[in-house]
Amino acid sequence: MAVASLPHGAPDAHHGGVDQLYAETRELRLQGFLLFLVSDVVLFSSFIFAYLYMRSSGQGWPPPGIGRLDVAFAALNSVVLFGSGATMHYALENWKHGHFNRYALLMVATIILGAAFLGGQGYEYTNLIYNEHVTWAGSGVFGASFFTLTGMHGFHVFVGVWYLTILLLQSVQGIYTKDKYFGLTAGTLYWHFVDVIWVVLFSIFYLI
Amino acid sequence: MINFPMLERVFAVVGGIIVGGVAAHALRVDWKTPGLDNAIFKLMLALLALGGVIAMLAGLNVLGNFGKA
Repeated sequence: MAVASLPHGAPDAHHGGVDQLYAETRELRLQGFLLFLVSDVVLFSSFIFAYLYMRSSGQGWPPPGIGRLDVAFAALNSVVLFGSGATMHYALENWKHGHFNRYALLMVATIILGAAFLGGQGYEYTNLIYNEHVTWAGSGVFGASFFTLTGMHGFHVFVGVWYLTILLLQSVQGIYTKDKYFGLTAGTLYWHFVDVIWVVLFSIFYLI
Repeated sequence: MINFPMLERVFAVVGGIIVGGVAAHALRVDWKTPGLDNAIFKLMLALLALGGVIAMLAGLNVLGNFGKA
């Protein structure tokens, strides 16, 4: 709030005032963003535990008439998403060290890998719906929980891809500097969060 | 004739090793970095490395091996 209330062209806007304000409020903004991520963890956790409860209450899993999911393809798609987490981490590291070109390259790689994961998920959905006849509404608890959780995660990835694209454009425009880059830190945290949620979803839907 | 499931598994295993290794290396490098954000990054990197290992094991058919349904 204090940052927003500073008028443009204020005497101290290009000197010590804004920098000092940035330093003083950085921890607060970080904590606020972490609270947002925690709220997302609560959202996913409630769906995950509901799924696990219903799964443990049923007779066998997946239910009769529904085939096993394609583990090999999902593992490959997971590696694509996890790889994007690694490229995002090194993009931020390169930004911290002032290597802009490497940062931009790694950001583009992250965005492409994120989009590739979405493409893979779309392919898997198409295969499930048209070949296996597994649908959100017509396949009981399995279909509902699978499409709800993976769809919710996919939406987060979709938002993340746009988020990272905007961050890349902003950094090209010079909005972030070597010392002031909280937006990039928040973007990296968000992207790691999306990765980590997929570790859980991949395990519970495909491996156990 | 290309065996796509086998190709998927090979790429999953190789990718899992690379991602797990890179995440573990980044975690080792950042281990002593202070700060709340870096503490979260370290947790995320550890889970990312775990994800790489899980994907690799799934590719190797060690995890998620249900046989024919």
